[in-house]
Amino acid sequence: MAHIVDAKGKPCPTPVLMAKGAMAQGHETFTVLVDNPTAVENLKRLAGNQGFEVSVREEGDTFALDFAKGEGCSACEQAINSPLPAAGGDWAVFVGRDIIGDGDRELGANLMRMFFYTLAQGEDRPGAVLFMNAGVKLPTLDEQVADHLKALSQTGTEILVCGTCLNFYGLTDQLKVGTVSNMYDIVTRMQQAGKVISL
Amino acid sequence: MDYGVITFASTYGAIYAQKVLKEVAPVQVMPVLREISLGCGIAVRFKPEDLEGVKAALAASTLKAGEYAFYAITGSGHNLKAEPL
Repeated sequence: MAHIVDAKGKPCPTPVLMAKGAMAQGHETFTVLVDNPTAVENLKRLAGNQGFEVSVREEGDTFALDFAKGEGCSACEQAINSPLPAAGGDWAVFVGRDIIGDGDRELGANLMRMFFYTLAQGEDRPGAVLFMNAGVKLPTLDEQVADHLKALSQTGTEILVCGTCLNFYGLTDQLKVGTVSNMYDIVTRMQQAGKVISL
Repeated sequence: MDYGVITFASTYGAIYAQKVLKEVAPVQVMPVLREISLGCGIAVRFKPEDLEGVKAALAASTLKAGEYAFYAITGSGHNLKAEPL
C-alpha cells in the first residue's frame, strides 16, 4: 500500500511541506490528496524540482497526485537545482605582453588600456587576470591599466603577476595592484577556468 | 555630467591628444561609446572639473577644431545619455 499524504483542506504551503516531508522520509512513491487546483500546480512544480514524476487523478472534489521517483541520478538533480555559477568566477585572462596584437606599439598600448577599461565597466568579469613576461609592465608602469585592475580586484577578480618576470624587468617594487605569484598558481588558475582568453 | 568624452577624426589625433592632455589632467583612453559612434575608435575620458583645462590644451595643440568633439556623459547602461558640448 502506497504512502498517503492527506492534505485536503490545508492552506498553502502546507500541502507542499507535507509532500516534502514524505520525500525526506525516503518515500520513493506516495500519493498526496488535495482539494484545490492551486495546490495541484504547486505540487507539480515541487515534483519537477525534486526529480519526481507525478500524475494527477481527479476523484470528485479531491485531486490525488501519485508521486514516483524519476530515473535521474542525485548528481543530476544537484546540477539542475544548483544556482548558475557566479558571473566571472569561471574564466580567466592571460596577458603575456604589454600591447595588444602586432604592429604599432602606441596603438597596441591604447588598445590594451581600452580592453581593461571595457572589462572593468562590464558586468561579466573574469575570475582571474594573469600577467607574464612583458605583461607585468601593465600592473606596474601603466597607471590607467592599474586603475582598472584595482576596480576589478575590488569585485573579486584575482590579479596574479609573475614574480620571476617582475624580477627580470626590475619592476618588483613598482607593483601597483595584484599579488606577486608563480608558475604553479598561474597554471592552476588556467586549469580551473572554463575558458582562458590570451592577449 | 558624470564625465566628459572627446572623440577624434583620426586614431593619430586620439593618440596625440592623449599625450598632450596627460600633462594637464588625469585622462583615460576608452573605446568610443556606441551612443556616440562617431569618429575613430579611441576616445579620451576626463573629469567634469577638468573641462576648461582640457579644452584650452587642445585649442593650443596642433589639432584643428574640426578634428575632435566634446560630449557630456550622464548615467550608464540603458540610461546613458551623451550630449554634445
